[in-house]
This record gives sequence, structure tokens and C-alpha cells, in this order.
Amino acid sequence: MSCSPFDLCDYLFGELADGERRQVERHVRSCGGCHEDLERLRITHSTLLTLRDEEVPRRIGFVSDKVFEPSLVRRAWRSFWGSSARLGFASAAMLSAALVIFTFFRPAVATPMVSNPSPDVTDIEAVVAGRVSAAVDKAVAESEARQAKNTAALLAAANARYEQQHAADLEQVKEAFSYLERRYNTSVVASNQEMKGAQ
Amino acid sequence: MIFRAVEDADLIHKARGGDVESYNLLISRWEKRVYNYLLRIVGDREEALDLSQDVFLKAYQNLRKLDDAERFAPWLFRIAHNEAFSAFRKRRPETEVLGQESGGAEIAAGGPAFPIELSIAVATALEKLTDDQREAVILKVYQGFKFDEMAEILSCPVSTVKSRLYSAFGALKIQLAPVKSRGVT
Repeated sequence: MSCSPFDLCDYLFGELADGERRQVERHVRSCGGCHEDLERLRITHSTLLTLRDEEVPRRIGFVSDKVFEPSLVRRAWRSFWGSSARLGFASAAMLSAALVIFTFFRPAVATPMVSNPSPDVTDIEAVVAGRVSAAVDKAVAESEARQAKNTAALLAAANARYEQQHAADLEQVKEAFSYLERRYNTSVVASNQEMKGAQ
Repeated sequence: MIFRAVEDADLIHKARGGDVESYNLLISRWEKRVYNYLLRIVGDREEALDLSQDVFLKAYQNLRKLDDAERFAPWLFRIAHNEAFSAFRKRRPETEVLGQESGGAEIAAGGPAFPIELSIAVATALEKLTDDQREAVILKVYQGFKFDEMAEILSCPVSTVKSRLYSAFGALKIQLAPVKSRGVT
């Protein structure tokens, strides 16, 4: 029987407070019997620890939502609506409740609105047709004016280019004529001189 | 000390909300301990694995009943204890004799780092204890639970836990003495 102030097993397993541990350690240092008991316990403990943990042969895991029903409320909800009889009863109950509510809280009957006298459709159509026609005429006139303006501008530009080209041609003709005239005169003079020399 | 980026309590909270992946992560942290606890009680790997799956399934289904997430370990082992002894009681009549002879050797085969004879001797010595004594040793020596946690798992007073453990150690000292005297210390 151990005479230690606290159980040696409690000491071995770390179940004592610091002060209690120190008391046991002091006692064991001075008591041969308790020292031997504690050593035997330690050896037994270490011998037991030679039996090591094994690895799990197959990993454990879950994937199916069917297996994992999250809550009692959800399970009850699903089981309730999963029954066709309960579903039919619930539908009938909702229909009955709707009828009762409609009976006691029927909305006021809507009175037909008094419509204002409508204006004459023919007049409206005439006004609209007139406005459309005026708008079309205005758009056509504007388009024609723009077209005439563009045409006039193009004609003016073409005339200008024609005048310039005509003047340039006349100038070239003049130069060519002058050149021919000079050559003609030169040849006439040369011919006259040859004739005078021959005489 | 193992650093865990996500605490068990967080995983439990997510698992309660239906996050199966969080629960799978929680399982991966605890499956080895639970499996070995069950293996040392029932002495059969396949049965220990089946029971482990049952334990984690029941734990998930009852996760909302866990008041304090910090007490997850003793709560989980309480479920494992119930499952193990439920199965143990069912098969006891046919395996009572066999368990004395073959169970220890079968369990011992998983410890390659130590001499096989020593592991067999330890497993056999554990088999010779009563169920209560053996479970007390398993929870204390191999699972490292405190006495109050063991009392919670076993649903008995701390004094009863201590009594079972001390009597088990008394028996183990005697049974393992020849092994130790052969120089294995």
C-alpha cells in the first residue's frame, strides 16, 4: 500500500495540480517503496504504449443528403408534403379558407366608369391627315431645295473647270500656231535665199 | 501540439448547418482515434470500421444536441462507447472464448515498430481485463482523456473511473511483469 500523499496513478496520468505533483515528487525521492511503485507503474504504462494505433483501413466520409437529414423541422416538413393525402387535405383547407375570406371580405363591386363623349373620329383623321400632308410637303420642298442647291454648285464648278481647260487649250494652240508660223517663215526665207543664190 | 487553422468548433457549427464537407473534415481528424478505440474494445477490424461509420453517422444526426462544442471529444466517445457495447453484448455468447485467445493477437499485428511478442503480450493482457477495466485503460492510456471526461463518456462517477483504472493497472502490472523482466522497458 502506497504511503504517498496523493495517488501515484493520478500523478502518473497528470491529474494532479502543480502543488500536489511537487508533494508527490518530494515524497517519492525520500520513500523507497513509493519510488519502486511509481517505477512499476511507469514501466507498465510504457509497455502498454507499445501497442500502437492502427491506420483506418478505409476512409470514412459522407456525401449523400438522403442520409444526412439536417433537422427535425425539415424532415417533418418534407414528410408532411410527401403525403398525397395530406397534400390534398391541405389544398382543400386552403380553398375553404379562401372562400370564407372572400365571403366576409368581398371587395366592393367596381362601378363602370362614365366615359367622356368622344370627339368625332372623322374630324380627327382629317386633322391628322392634313398635318401629315403638310409635313410631307414641307420635307419634300426642303429636300428639293437642297438638291437644287447642290446641282447648281456642281454646275458652277464644272463650268469653272471647263473655262480653265478651254483657256489652257487655246493657249497651247496659240503657242503651236506661233511655232509653226515661225518655222514657216524661216523655211520661206531659206527658200528665197536658195533661189536668189541659184539665179 | 497540433495547430489547426480551423477549430473543431467551427467545423461543428458548419456541419450543424448541413455542410457535409466540414463534417467530413471533422471525421478525418477523429476517425483514427475512434477506430482504434473501437478496435481495442471489439477486437475485430471490420466490425470496428463498421461501428466507426455508425458512430459518425449518429454523431451527425445528433450534432444539434451537443450543447458545448468544446466537449465534442467526450461526447463523440460516449456515442462510440454505446455503439461498441451494444455490439459487444450482441456477439458476446459466440466469441467469449475465442476472444481470449485470438483477439489479442489480431489487434497486435498492427504495431510494426515494436517487437511483435510484446504487442501480443500487451493485447492479450488487455483482453484479460474486464470490459470496464479495459475501456478505462483504453480511454486513459491510448486516448488520453481526463478523469472527468472519462466519467462523462462512461456515464459514471469519477471515483468509479479511478477504481476501474487502478484495478486494471494492478492486474496489468502482474500480467506484463514477465514481459518486462525479459528486458523490454
